[in-house]
Amino acid sequence: MNLLSFCQWLEKTPVAMSMRESLWIFDAVETIHTLGIVLVAGTIMLLDLRLLGLGLRREPVSDVAGRTVPWTLAGFCLMALTGAWLFSAEASKLYHSPAFRIKLVLLALAGLNALLFHLTVYRQVNGWVDIPVRARMAGLISLVLWTCIIAAGRSIAYGPGYDQ
Amino acid sequence: MIRDALAPVFAWLGHSALGMEIRSSAVLIALTQIIHLLGLTMLIGTLLMVDMTMMGVGFRRYTVAQVARELAPWTTGGLIVMLVSGPLILSSESLKCFESSFFWMKMIGLAVAIIFHFTAHRTVAQADPPVPHWRARLVASISLALWIGIAIAGKMIGIYGDDLRREPPPFQVRISDTGASPLTGRQAPAARATVR
Repeated sequence: MNLLSFCQWLEKTPVAMSMRESLWIFDAVETIHTLGIVLVAGTIMLLDLRLLGLGLRREPVSDVAGRTVPWTLAGFCLMALTGAWLFSAEASKLYHSPAFRIKLVLLALAGLNALLFHLTVYRQVNGWVDIPVRARMAGLISLVLWTCIIAAGRSIAYGPGYDQ
Repeated sequence: MIRDALAPVFAWLGHSALGMEIRSSAVLIALTQIIHLLGLTMLIGTLLMVDMTMMGVGFRRYTVAQVARELAPWTTGGLIVMLVSGPLILSSESLKCFESSFFWMKMIGLAVAIIFHFTAHRTVAQADPPVPHWRARLVASISLALWIGIAIAGKMIGIYGDDLRREPPPFQVRISDTGASPLTGRQAPAARATVR
């Protein structure tokens, strides 16, 4: 079974069907998905700004991370769930959308960046005198990636492949 | 009443060179929306942390005043980004906004939220020593409810704007091959109904 036939199968599942048949579920879920970005990207941005020394400078990095990461993860779960739900309703349309593909790749890169950061340089956070260059880089990369993810996500509605 | 009085302004905005320019380009329409969304993330993302600290679930080691002072430039920055990109979007779809009840709800909510943010909210956020907990909680709840309400109303303009349009736009409309509305980039209501 290739990816496209998986998408076509997904669209015929009861969950996807109920979403397409309802007049409001899609719009409601889309609203939650759009506003949920505030939880994910907003909290990620706070940590990134702290790593870059542009905000919350008096708070130790570990404090900022400790306070924001649980919200980031909660927000990400919300986004992943609503995102998967939205995807199921128009899977084969999104299969053809370049913006959607770009968004998925960027999401994977952002995840990889965060994973690498937490598994390596962040481990010695208590020993940091100044913020290491690698941590600053991780913050900068994360800021750029999440900005692009938002842009790509918004572009799905305007790009080719969507309204065809 | 105010709405009718502003009708000429909306007509002018819709016919302005800026509005026509943005409307004629899918890239510019998308770009203004993206910038507006990034501003929203900055605005509500930072405000969320300040308000949660006010509620006692954010940064605990520092006072609300300290967190607010650090984040205020980013909140204000986000607000400015939204206040610049918002009118650009408005110029590109002025009739849709004029006809949308959600747009007017959003504008009223926005006025209230901005006044609230720079008066009651600011007083509590900067209070040193902090105000009584119940008062901080109340102000934080109102603040979050206002801004999230505005964001939802904004999303609703996009979702239901097409359906609320009662008359054809007074300007030249370029119908694309796909049937997508040149105003919004979305499918017309009839076409959407068959898609979903």
